[in-house]
Amino acid sequence: MFYELNDEQKAFRQRVRQIYEREVSPLVEECERNETFPVQLFPILGAEHLLCLRCPKKYGGPGLDKISECITVEELNRICVGIGASIMVQGGLATDPILHFGSEDLKQKYLSPAVRGEKIGSFALTEPNAGSDASGIRTTAVKHGEGYRINGSKTFITNGTICHFATVAAYTDPSKRGKGINLFVVEREDSGFSVIKKLRKLGNHSADTAELAFDDCYVPKERMLGGQEGGGLGQLEETLKSGRLTYGARSTGVGQAAFEAILSYVKKTERHGQPLSKSQAIRFILAEMAMSLEVMRYVTYRGGWLFDQGLATMKDASVVKLFCSETVQSIVQKAMTIQKNAGLMIDNPVQRFLRDGRANKIPEGTSEVQHLVIAGGLGL
Amino acid sequence: MDFRLSDEQKDIQKAAREFAQGEFDPDVALELDENGKFPESLWKKAAQLGFIGMHYPEEVGGQGLGLLENLLVIEAFCRVDSGIGAALSTVDLGSEAILKFGSQGQKKQFLVPLIKGEKRMGVAFAESEDGNDFSPLSAVSERKGQEYFVRGEKRFVLNASLADSFLTLCKEPKEGWITLMVERAGDGIAVHPIEKMGLKMISFGDLLFKDVRVPVANRIGREGDGMTHALHCRQAMGLRSAAQALGTAEGALDMAMGHAKQREQFGRRLSQFQAIRHKLADMAVGIEVARWLAYKSATEYDQGKIDPLFFSITQLEVGRKLVRGVDEALQIFGGYGYMAEQAIEHYFRDAWAIGVGLGTEEEQKDAIADIVLGPDSIKK
Repeated sequence: MFYELNDEQKAFRQRVRQIYEREVSPLVEECERNETFPVQLFPILGAEHLLCLRCPKKYGGPGLDKISECITVEELNRICVGIGASIMVQGGLATDPILHFGSEDLKQKYLSPAVRGEKIGSFALTEPNAGSDASGIRTTAVKHGEGYRINGSKTFITNGTICHFATVAAYTDPSKRGKGINLFVVEREDSGFSVIKKLRKLGNHSADTAELAFDDCYVPKERMLGGQEGGGLGQLEETLKSGRLTYGARSTGVGQAAFEAILSYVKKTERHGQPLSKSQAIRFILAEMAMSLEVMRYVTYRGGWLFDQGLATMKDASVVKLFCSETVQSIVQKAMTIQKNAGLMIDNPVQRFLRDGRANKIPEGTSEVQHLVIAGGLGL
Repeated sequence: MDFRLSDEQKDIQKAAREFAQGEFDPDVALELDENGKFPESLWKKAAQLGFIGMHYPEEVGGQGLGLLENLLVIEAFCRVDSGIGAALSTVDLGSEAILKFGSQGQKKQFLVPLIKGEKRMGVAFAESEDGNDFSPLSAVSERKGQEYFVRGEKRFVLNASLADSFLTLCKEPKEGWITLMVERAGDGIAVHPIEKMGLKMISFGDLLFKDVRVPVANRIGREGDGMTHALHCRQAMGLRSAAQALGTAEGALDMAMGHAKQREQFGRRLSQFQAIRHKLADMAVGIEVARWLAYKSATEYDQGKIDPLFFSITQLEVGRKLVRGVDEALQIFGGYGYMAEQAIEHYFRDAWAIGVGLGTEEEQKDAIADIVLGPDSIKK
């Protein structure tokens, strides 16, 4: 049984926390206000070996496990959810398909610079008409000469305006629902690839989110993952399985941030001449937050452990994502209500945690989709 | 018992709805929200059509109706746009104290320009961080001859930058608690604007009074009654917040239903999925409960016999339904709900700001328990 991080993992957590506090914390306020991602962070985190945690040493990566990745994601989201989104995609959705299904050439070409933070990746699956329903995408990749011509539009794409390459899902055979999908690596310089617009959001302001268009975008066949037509849906599922597990750490991180903020507020605030910390109702709320965080962390790292053992199923991943992204809502919501007026102030990070944390019930499968997957996993 | 609205009330509701639907342009709403601008021209139009202060007596230009009718207007406005609706319903904050405790002269002086849409007012009660706690009051008004000299700081004042006058709670060394109408036209009021996460169209901030001269004629009611005035206002303001909450939850449900009926995933419209249907059903239940709580409380207010127990129950439950309903509505929109282009995004932020006006759960439960258990129940 897996109960606690070992000494090495604990030391790793200490180290990454220090790095994020040193390198990321000073950037947060300005990036959130200006709604921009600090691209200069990529090479800095690359130099610290904190991008693409699971990428093998062979391609310049740290070659660590899922648990280590979860540690970094939790710690980074504790500092900033928006910035965390971009870094998470770099080491997850954007590069995982290349790592697991790409040719040796593609790995050399894209993973090595991604690990160093020289190239930024994005993952383009969601479309205006296909969110929860991945098989419902309409983007097509039609054979043309020695490659494919991609046509379609993608939306809510993290790193959309800043990426150097995108891992794009498209139908090579639209007649086969789901089964006719392939993943392609598209480069920013490829003719026909364009950013339609950057999207403004409720939270995650420092994350770069965009709508992309592919207009007769030619991609050589070598950049199709897996080397043959079809099979992309399975690749997507493997990618999302890992991503959904990561979401446990993402929710835990922002929950932890909200908890720390409200704990310090409660300790220093008086109401009606009484310290707020003496209110039994408030004490109970904080106790429940602490309990929720314990359980979220356990669920997350157990999921990571299962993944590292090769045992994690889609259902396991959905359990982690659903439980943590729902549980964190009550933490951020309670942290808001305790503060009342003060909680509304833009300068108060708790309202940011509420807006940022709210996202987690949506990407990489909404809570409703996670229910569907879990129910399916029960054999229903 | 008659739970039906009168024909006149239904006409008011219909007129308010038609006005809002005809005049509140969704694009303008997004722009005003983004830029934190007050809907000036809509305010003027709403006033011309009699939507401001219809519960004031006819001799000052009102329609002699009740707060319930005022609430019906607020509800209808917020249903069409939470931000514009709340902004238009906040221009006469605190006027209830003048209505109930002011002299004929004060009513003419302060209420007529509100009804005409020429002036706005605000309340300056709170001094502590949590906004509703008036007890550690430091604002002092010293009387010298026919003038008071007001000094001190007031926090979290709505309309801080735009109101022409503030109903200000302060303490006079000899007279005790008093409320004064402090006009901005004079010298000595400094505003520290605060940016907040929701209801961005309403200016918000702290006020610093530096020996502001206020004529004795601007004192509302009797010496020593200031706290009574403040608490009376707080009831009226609480009910207005309830109407904002109700309208906002209704608007969120309208949008979510509209989206669910047209959005297709997995080859079916969202409105065909049981889980989504049940979410919408829950929201409809919440709104129905909130509506009758708010209407009953307003009716009691108009009859001059508001039940403090029922009032707190109303505040508590309407607040819960609001947050829950808007959150679920956003979820039904999926990724789109998180994008600032969709109105539900600001409904979510506005809901949290409106919720502050309803008090925290702990506060309302304290009040309810005090009444239900009796005042002696807490004594040792």
